[in-house]
Order: sequence, then C-alpha cells, then structure tokens
Amino acid sequence: MASVSLTNVVKAFGAFKVVHGVDLDIADGEFVVLLGPSGCGKTTTLRMVAGLEDVNGGEIRIAGEVINDRAPKDRKIAMVFQNYALYPHMTVRQNMEFALKPQRLSKAEVDAKIAGVAAMLGLDVLLHRKPAQLSGGQRQRVAMGRAMVRTPEVFLFDEPLSNLDAKLRTQVRMEIAKLHKQLGTTVIYVTHDQVEAMTLADKIVIMKDGHIEQIGSPEEVFARPKNLFVATFIGSPSMNLFRMTAERGDTGTVLSSPAFSLLLPVELGAKLKPGQAVTLGVRPSDVRLAQAGDADAIEARVEVVEYLGVEALVDLRIGTQEFIAQIPASERPALDQAVKVVFNPAGLHLFDSESGQAL
Amino acid sequence: MNRLSTRQATLVYSVTGIILIIFMIPIYLILASSLKPSADMFSRPPTVFFTPTLQHYVDLFTLRPFHWNIINSLIVTLGSTVFSVTIGALGAFALSRIRHPRINDAAFWILSMRMFPPIAVVVPYYIIFKSVGLLDTPLALIIVYSTANIPLTVWLMKGFFDEVPEALEEAAQVDGYGIVEIFYRITLPLAAPGLAVCAVFCFIFSWNEFLFALMLTGSSAQTATVAVMSFWSSDAVQWGRIMAGSFIILIPGVIFVLTCQKWLVKGLTLGSVK
Ligand SMILES: Nc1ncnc2c1ncn2[C@@H]1O[C@H](COP(=O)(O)OP(=O)(O)OP(=O)(O)O)[C@@H](O)[C@H]1O
Ligand SMILES: [Mg+2]
Repeated sequence: MASVSLTNVVKAFGAFKVVHGVDLDIADGEFVVLLGPSGCGKTTTLRMVAGLEDVNGGEIRIAGEVINDRAPKDRKIAMVFQNYALYPHMTVRQNMEFALKPQRLSKAEVDAKIAGVAAMLGLDVLLHRKPAQLSGGQRQRVAMGRAMVRTPEVFLFDEPLSNLDAKLRTQVRMEIAKLHKQLGTTVIYVTHDQVEAMTLADKIVIMKDGHIEQIGSPEEVFARPKNLFVATFIGSPSMNLFRMTAERGDTGTVLSSPAFSLLLPVELGAKLKPGQAVTLGVRPSDVRLAQAGDADAIEARVEVVEYLGVEALVDLRIGTQEFIAQIPASERPALDQAVKVVFNPAGLHLFDSESGQAL
Repeated sequence: MNRLSTRQATLVYSVTGIILIIFMIPIYLILASSLKPSADMFSRPPTVFFTPTLQHYVDLFTLRPFHWNIINSLIVTLGSTVFSVTIGALGAFALSRIRHPRINDAAFWILSMRMFPPIAVVVPYYIIFKSVGLLDTPLALIIVYSTANIPLTVWLMKGFFDEVPEALEEAAQVDGYGIVEIFYRITLPLAAPGLAVCAVFCFIFSWNEFLFALMLTGSSAQTATVAVMSFWSSDAVQWGRIMAGSFIILIPGVIFVLTCQKWLVKGLTLGSVK
C-alpha cells in the first residue's frame, strides 16, 4: 500500500496540451475517483501514473519516491483497463499466472494466490475458460482478478464498468466498494459516471479541460461546489441557475431578476455588494411547491411533468427563465398550470457571474 | 451462417465443381503423363487407359541426382522462409508500433523493394555473388529470395500486428514484462495466422522460383525447378522425366500449405477486449 502524489503534472501530445499542471495528493488506502466530461484528461492522467504515457512536466510520486522515469513494471501498480485487455490466447488461470510470473513465486504460492482471488471474485468455475467464452460481466471480474492477484500498492481503474449493462454495473460497483474495504489498497478510479464517483469515492477529483476544478469528499463537492462547473456537473438533474443582481432591500439583501426576486438569508446576503451580478444556483431537489403561509413564493408555469415513480421532475417557466423542480410524485401538478414554488434557504448557492467562482 | 436454399446450393456446388475441374486438369495431365510409357506419350487421340509405369520416376533418381536437387530446393526454401518470416515479423512490429509521421513512407519504401522486375537485378546479383564467391551456393539464393520475401512479410505482418489491441501489450507492461517478452508471448501468438500466411507465401515463392535459380546456380546448388528444365535439351525432350519431376515438385508445397492451414484460423483475438 502506498500514497500517490502528483505535483504540477503536465502532459502534451505534440503541441496539444491535455493536462495542465495537476496537483493531487492521495493518502495510503484512499479511494480517489477522477471524474469529468469526455476528453478532460482523466485517462491520460491515469496512464501517466501507470507509466504508459511520458510525463512532460512535474513529478509523480508513489510511496514518496519520484517514479516519472520508471517503467510500468517497476511501479507496483495494477491496472484494470476499460476494455479489460485479457490475453485472449490464455485461460483465466493462465491470465492470472502470467500476471504473477514476474514476481517469481513458488508454484504453491501462485496457486494459493489464484485460489484466494478466485474465491473472492467467484471465478473458480471459470478458471479453465478462455476470455472469448466469458460474458461481459465475467470478463470484467477476471480483469479485476488479474489485477488483484499481484497485490499491488496502487490499483488503477479506467472506466471499468462502462461496458456493463445498468444492473450489472450497480452490482459490480458494490463489489468494488466491498473489495476496497477488504483489501484497503490505494485506488485511483477514472469514470465519467457521477453515481459511481459519489458511491465509491473517499475523494472526488473533478476535472475539466486538463485542469482540476475541485477536490473533495462526495458530500463536499455536492453541498459546496467551488464553481459553476462543479455545481452543474455534479447532481442529476443538474442545478438550476438564475442570473440575478444583488440589491439592498428594506429587510436585507435581495436578489432580483426580470423573472422574480428573492430575499436572501442574512449570512448569504452579507457576502454581496449592491449591484453585483451573481448567479444563483438551486438544486431541483431544493425547489418545492409552496404551501399556505409560505412567504416569498414564486409563481411559475408548468411546462412538462416527468413521472419517475417515487419522484417527479417538473419543468417550470417564469418568462424566459426555465428551471426544474424535483418533488414527490404524489404532489405533481397538472400541465400548463400556474404553481407557486419556494427555494429551500439552505440550498441556495451563490456564484460570481463573471468568474463562476462560488461566493 | 444461413442455410442455403436448394437452388443456391446447386449453384454454389456447380461453380465450385467447375473451378475445381479447371484447376485439376493440369495436375491430372502431369500425373498421367508421368506414369505413361514413353511410347504412349503423344499418341492421338490421347490414351486414357494405359499400363502405368514408374520408370520415369526411377530414371529421375538413378540416371539423375534429382534427390539432391530436391534437397537444394528444400534448403533454399526453408532457409529463406525462416529468415524472411523472422526478420519480416520484427520489422513489421516496429513499423506497426512506432509512432512517427514518416513511418508510412518507410513502410512503402520497404514494399517498393518488391517492385523490382527480377530480370533487371539478376545480372548485378550475378556479378556480386561471383566476386564474393557465392555463386552456385544455396546461400546466394537464400539471400536473393529473402530480399523479395522480407518486404512482403513486413507488409503483411504489419496488418496483422495493427489488429492486435495495444491495450494487451500495455496490460503486459503493467504486469511486469519488457518489450521482448511482450512481443513473443502476447503479440506474436496473436498474430500467428499472419505468420502462417507469410510462411506459405515465402515458401511457395522460393520453391517455385526459376529465373534466379537458373542464373545463379550451376550443378552443385541446382534446385528442382531448374533440374526439371534441364531435361529439355536441344537434342531430346524427356517428357516423362519432366512430368515426373514436376509432380514431385508439387508435393512439398501441398504438404506445407496443409500443415500451415490449422494456423490460418481467424478470430484468435476474440474476447480480449470489450
Ligand atoms: N495519443 C494521443 N495523441 C493525441 N491526443 C491524445 C492522445 N490521447 C489522448 N489525446 C487527447 O487528450 C485529451 C484527453 O484525453 P483522455 O483520453 O485523457 O480523456 P478522458 O478524460 O479519459 O475522456 P473519456 O471520458 O472520453 O475517456 C483528449 O482531447 C484527447 O483527444
Ligand atoms: Mg478515458
């Protein structure tokens, strides 16, 4: 087991820079998820840690040692590839033996390790099959098994679940979480699926265009997004955004826009100067239908209602401003109706409209 | 595969049958002529029923040292095939994996070696081999055939290596292997059908080659194809021996292709990724 740290790591393909100075510290045993939209440099970053791509600048350390120039085989890592990369001409057992061979263990040790991993992952009955004779889920399991037998210091996963169907994905996700708890090995896990990130990670690293936007626990990135990108990227459906101007009202700071105005709680209002352009973010789950007696209710028109079983998503409109409310399905209004909604005061997020940074 | 309807099946089998007959007629004629007594060779109409004789085959090995010609052919052919496939596969692996903007130019340059008309280079080869004392040796033919076989192998194998997912090599890298081990334990086994194809091409080319063998060998390194031709002299054409020799020449190629056939299976990479 080992810590991993990246200091100002840079990667360019020719003149095309894809990772711009990434700083990241991963503690021993931590499960870190790199999350971001397609093409943001997650895979590239992971491959640099694996040693499959050269590092063009900065330093990568594993267990405190700079490993920039070490071959992948000298990094004590194991990787699970997106497409599994099982050796097709070898059986499941041979795949694992092949991964173990460089460690020069005795036959008994190899057999014991394979038996242990096979039992843990339920691969016993598959050991004599070739990859072509396995289902997608089984191949995924074998890929993990092949990585696990080597008992590496760090596990690297590149979108290991993206080729599985939704149900299997949930199941394997839970297994990975369980395995991590059991083994306690440091994990770097790449995905663009935020559910995977939220459920698995001790720490989420949100990337965009080769930059890190925010590093934090799942709770932190959800509850306290550092900027507009993180705010809208995390959470589904994404956070509603309203462009507003701060004004000094009789009872405190008021946000106003052509669509509506809203009195801010005192501590939020204190952060704003009159006249400041701000973007107000409210998650759909923090929008609810107003009840009798709610002050400051906002009137909006119901455009679309999506029934999801327990909940319903209601697309609302005030003038040109559109937003979504996520409410209990039993409360869902009829189409084209005017409804009154209120925002949960604890769920208001304020961002500077120019810089996009949280206030 | 879909099952064929009766009409489709009839069509497929008739066409296959016709093609088969067209290809088999010369072979039949060779075999039949090699077994005919010399007297029946040119009787008109051709005799369909005759008393077969092995006399031509016996003559071939008793009056002529045909077994030595066969051995020469085998040395030259196997030598060139093994050498070309080994060197060609290594070169193809490099061309397939090195990322460089001009790499395709290099690949084309290698292939262009194959485009020389043989007749244009036979004299220079003769002069070179004469000056280094390689004339009339199997080594000379191995070198010449390899200059033709290597480009072909490089070009063919590059295609096969391109098909092997690089992720497999990366996985092996992470698992702790160096490039040499990865090549012969992962990449090469997965490109085995390509090796078989190349070996067949190299074998057939070298085995059948006539022009260089005629010009560059005399008596001691003479190959089977040249030997058969020598039965055709100005005073007499020994048809029976030519046919018997030709039939013997056909055999190793068939055996070699059948041996390689089991490697010519597709889909060896099935199940590695996805
Ligand atoms: N070998 C390469 N040569 C040139 N550009 C590359 C290469 N590999 C990746 N890139 C570029 O680097 C950028 C980051 O790619 P990367 O694969 O790291 O993205 P990603 O975050 O993993 O995306 P995805 O979620 O789609 O897998 C992309 O713009 C991609 O086009
Ligand atoms: Mg990727």
